[in-house]
Amino acid sequence: MTPQMIFLMFFGGAAVWFGIVVFRTHSMVRSALALLFSQTAVGVMFLLMQAEFLGVLQIMMMATEMSVMAIFMVMFMMDPGGMGAMDMTHQKRLSLWAGGIGFVAALAVIWLADWGPANLQIPDATEQTAELGRELLGRSMFIFESAALMILTAMVAATMVAIHPNEGRKR
Amino acid sequence: MTVSIVLVALAVGAYLVAVLESWAVHGRLEPARPAISALALLGRESLLARTPDRLFFEAGPVVLLVAGLLAVAVIPLAPGLIVTDLATGALFLNAALAYVLVALIMAGWGPNGAYAMIGGWRFLGQFVAYAMLIVMPITAVAMRAESLSTVDIVTSQSTLWNIAYQPLGFVLFVAAAMGLCWLPPLDLPTARGDLTGGIEAEYTGARLAVLRLARMVLIMALAGATVTFYLGGWLGPWLPAWAWSAIKILFVAGLMVSVGRLVPRVREAQYLEISWKLGIPLALANIFLVGVITLVVPI
Repeated sequence: MTPQMIFLMFFGGAAVWFGIVVFRTHSMVRSALALLFSQTAVGVMFLLMQAEFLGVLQIMMMATEMSVMAIFMVMFMMDPGGMGAMDMTHQKRLSLWAGGIGFVAALAVIWLADWGPANLQIPDATEQTAELGRELLGRSMFIFESAALMILTAMVAATMVAIHPNEGRKR
Repeated sequence: MTVSIVLVALAVGAYLVAVLESWAVHGRLEPARPAISALALLGRESLLARTPDRLFFEAGPVVLLVAGLLAVAVIPLAPGLIVTDLATGALFLNAALAYVLVALIMAGWGPNGAYAMIGGWRFLGQFVAYAMLIVMPITAVAMRAESLSTVDIVTSQSTLWNIAYQPLGFVLFVAAAMGLCWLPPLDLPTARGDLTGGIEAEYTGARLAVLRLARMVLIMALAGATVTFYLGGWLGPWLPAWAWSAIKILFVAGLMVSVGRLVPRVREAQYLEISWKLGIPLALANIFLVGVITLVVPI
């Protein structure tokens, strides 16, 4: 077993553990930051698998996303500090089934898919970044642009919902 | 060896910037002041607030320090004098600096105090304002260098520094960097006279010393990033490369800690408005201009 594999298992375990912590804590901020550290562990796994750009990007994006999520959770939850020992879980039977089916489906995809031979010639980080750029501005451009448009629409819609309808008239 | 040299340089630089900052605040040049303050802080009792989130309270200042140190790791001080020359260095710098926000939210939430919490969430508002203005100017810098490696970015400026090539990006980046290390006029998270120290309000003794040290490291990291991206890094005539880096970084850090004090404090709503309505269109224009110049005139 190589050191790379040991670290990969360690951070994989950390990602799962922090994922569990998300639901074990009562504090919204702790929950959001536990999710952040779970995602950061996934980012470190990318780095260990020599996907430098993806790893750094994952570590960067998650820090900001989860922090913004934390403030929304604090704003909308009735017990953000967890002082009242609010239960984080609900609809337990449904979520157990959904989680179980998702887990089995993921395992099935992992084991049954034909992944092809492992690539032993890993391009260096500069080459990887350049290839990612070509992919994003070539074959995958349509997917990313449509996703971007959907997110923009959602942002505009959310802002419209948040603004009080009479705000303009008051001035 | 390189790591030790960079750490010693960082410690000396942070000390000198602390002297400069105390000069800017008190108007007297007292070279021993940071050392005396540090000793005083370390000698004091480190109080613990009532029913804190202990984990976040303890981790906040340490995460801030680690984020600053990681950002410093990709800043080249001379050819070969860099902790790690990553192929994605400029992006890594962003990733490290993103954890400043995480650290301040921890430090704000941890002590279970109103002033600290407001300070922490204010920084999040401030983050939404400055975040894009850190990333977008760096995009334009990387476009010219055709690389995200900080060493390549410095060498790409051998004919013309980026401050002359993309002055708009420089102004936006420095303004955003000052927001990132919550320097006046963007010092809302601490906001003396308003939040009685904000995130610093509940920290005392050794923990406050770590928090203040981490902020100095952060200022050095941002000054180093400004020099790397816009002022030609170690490039310069006559003097050795490391000396140029030292002079430039200290100059930028000195300006950052002093000039903003002449301007009244900016509210977070105003800062958000300026950043999104003016800053982001300007940053987009900067990316477009740099793209056109890069394609048309090879400098």
